Amino acid sequence: MTDNSAVTKQAASSRSDTALLPPVDVIEDTNGITLCADLPGVPKDRLGLQIEADTLTIEGEVTLTIPEGMESSHAEVSLPRYRRVFTLSKELDTEKVGAEFNQGVLKLRIPKAAHAQPRKIEVRPA
Amino acid sequence: MKLETLKENLGGFWDNLAEGWRHLRQSAGEALTRFHPGEKTNMPVRAEVDDDAYLPSMGWSMLGGDMFEDDKRLVVRLEVPGMEKEDLDIQIHDGTLLVSGEKRFERESSEGRWRVMQRAYGSFRRAVPLRVPVKADQARASYRNGVLRVELPKREPGAAKVVSINVR
Repeated sequence: MTDNSAVTKQAASSRSDTALLPPVDVIEDTNGITLCADLPGVPKDRLGLQIEADTLTIEGEVTLTIPEGMESSHAEVSLPRYRRVFTLSKELDTEKVGAEFNQGVLKLRIPKAAHAQPRKIEVRPA
Repeated sequence: MKLETLKENLGGFWDNLAEGWRHLRQSAGEALTRFHPGEKTNMPVRAEVDDDAYLPSMGWSMLGGDMFEDDKRLVVRLEVPGMEKEDLDIQIHDGTLLVSGEKRFERESSEGRWRVMQRAYGSFRRAVPLRVPVKADQARASYRNGVLRVELPKREPGAAKVVSINVR
């Protein structure tokens, strides 16, 4: 472990407009999709979720501030932002998105629109 | 799901991918951590997953870590999202902080197909060498927002000793 904090800080400031891609899992069932994303270090109030037309944007800001008087001696986490953009299909109902955020994991539930869900048609004798 | 159901913005994807590699090479020497799924991990089988990159037998994840210090203490932080506190094991051994744990796969229902699987599950282990001797019995740990923080009081207050070695 080497002391390269000065170098890291400098590099971080020049990369302020870039972001890290959070890993995701996506499961689809008959009623919708569930998306889980790893965003460690992001507090709830720095998480940004946006749906505009068919575009879903997940953004998070890492707030790992070093307490005053402490000196960084090693840093692997130098990008302070996460960002990932998805395009949602029309069969998903973006009005009814549910979100949970717990221990750095974002869980989104996006249901399919009623017309896209399978319907059971009962056949009755006439 | 047709490909259109959840399509990633392609331009953004390549930008991010390139950035990811740059980040990896520049600052993540130690962060890439291997995960070993075991029987208890409860991973879906290959047939339930459509992601071509998915391997049920292993996974990799970036667990970013950093360390900072003042006169009295060393603080180590490690990003391990989505854990239960009880599943984290922290030990101090021979001047090294050992963090291990098991991340279980949560399955809410038996129906559905996994379209994308990028998060890692299973057991992992990280060893963080400590720069100075610490009082292991006074160490304190907390877990918040998916980040583990371990605070270790130094045995001898002061900055790390610098040893000069002459080159002959």
